[in-house]
Amino acid sequence: MPMFVCERELPGVTPEMLQSAGLRAKTCCAEMTAEGQPVRWVRSFFLPEASQTHCYFEGPNREAVEEANKRARIPFLRIAQVVEMIPESV
Amino acid sequence: MNCRCNQPVDFAATHAIALARRRGALEVTADDLLGGCLLAVARFGIVDLGSVVVDLDELGLLWRDDPAGSPAGLHRVSYSDQAVALFDQAARIARAALPARSSLPTPPVRIADLMAAVAFDQRGLCGELQMRFGVTSKLWRAGLARQTPLEEDASPVPVDVAVRPPDREYLSPEDAAQTLGVHVQTLRAYIRSGKLPALRLAGERAIRIRREDLAKVLEPLQAET
Repeated sequence: MPMFVCERELPGVTPEMLQSAGLRAKTCCAEMTAEGQPVRWVRSFFLPEASQTHCYFEGPNREAVEEANKRARIPFLRIAQVVEMIPESV
Repeated sequence: MNCRCNQPVDFAATHAIALARRRGALEVTADDLLGGCLLAVARFGIVDLGSVVVDLDELGLLWRDDPAGSPAGLHRVSYSDQAVALFDQAARIARAALPARSSLPTPPVRIADLMAAVAFDQRGLCGELQMRFGVTSKLWRAGLARQTPLEEDASPVPVDVAVRPPDREYLSPEDAAQTLGVHVQTLRAYIRSGKLPALRLAGERAIRIRREDLAKVLEPLQAET
């Protein structure tokens, strides 16, 4: 399935707020998957110095990933499809 | 001890979303989260926290219904601002269980953490518990504390990875989901869509999946040409 990155700016975010957001993302993805739109939160990276996060989701399309984030009430700047590269593939 | 209070909060969230859906609501509220917690930890419709005993029938919570059986896909349900604040609070409560200035990672948020977060709400279902049943915030939190004693290891192992699924011919939905490496809601979706055959224990609601049927949801990868 395609992968997407969700870029966020979260000034003042605390570790607990990040954990809360992760919980909401996880449960909303599970709900959408149960509805027949498989979306999966893969992982996130937090950049403490910039208060930014990059959250990676697998989903059928950008709209599904956006829907999951809206349901979870997690703000984002943009969502873009990415191409994954790992050392083993180069 | 009601060990269900120690389960990851995901189970309560599933119930909460189902409650919101049944109401025809667009958002999951604090009441839905509390109802979801109660449904997740109840046994036979009773939540026993020692000094506090809650009968879900008296609260109008349909504990006999399977949340996976609630209509999905009819409308979107998102978390309300109230629900977001409660999840934040629950994560703070989970963190507060660690020793001060601990370098340990924040432990997973449990149902008990979310139930403790709701205890401070004077409105809605929580307010009703207080007004009708005399369940004060203090009694509620004391009951939760008794059900969730502190452990020496402040990094609890998530329930869904702690134990290898048993090598039985018939698996519960949770064990089958763990075997496939998917969320239990995903597995229930497979069952609803007919992709994965399932059986019920005769005369009961419990579902079982034959281990050999799990392969039916898998397909070989096509080699790239």
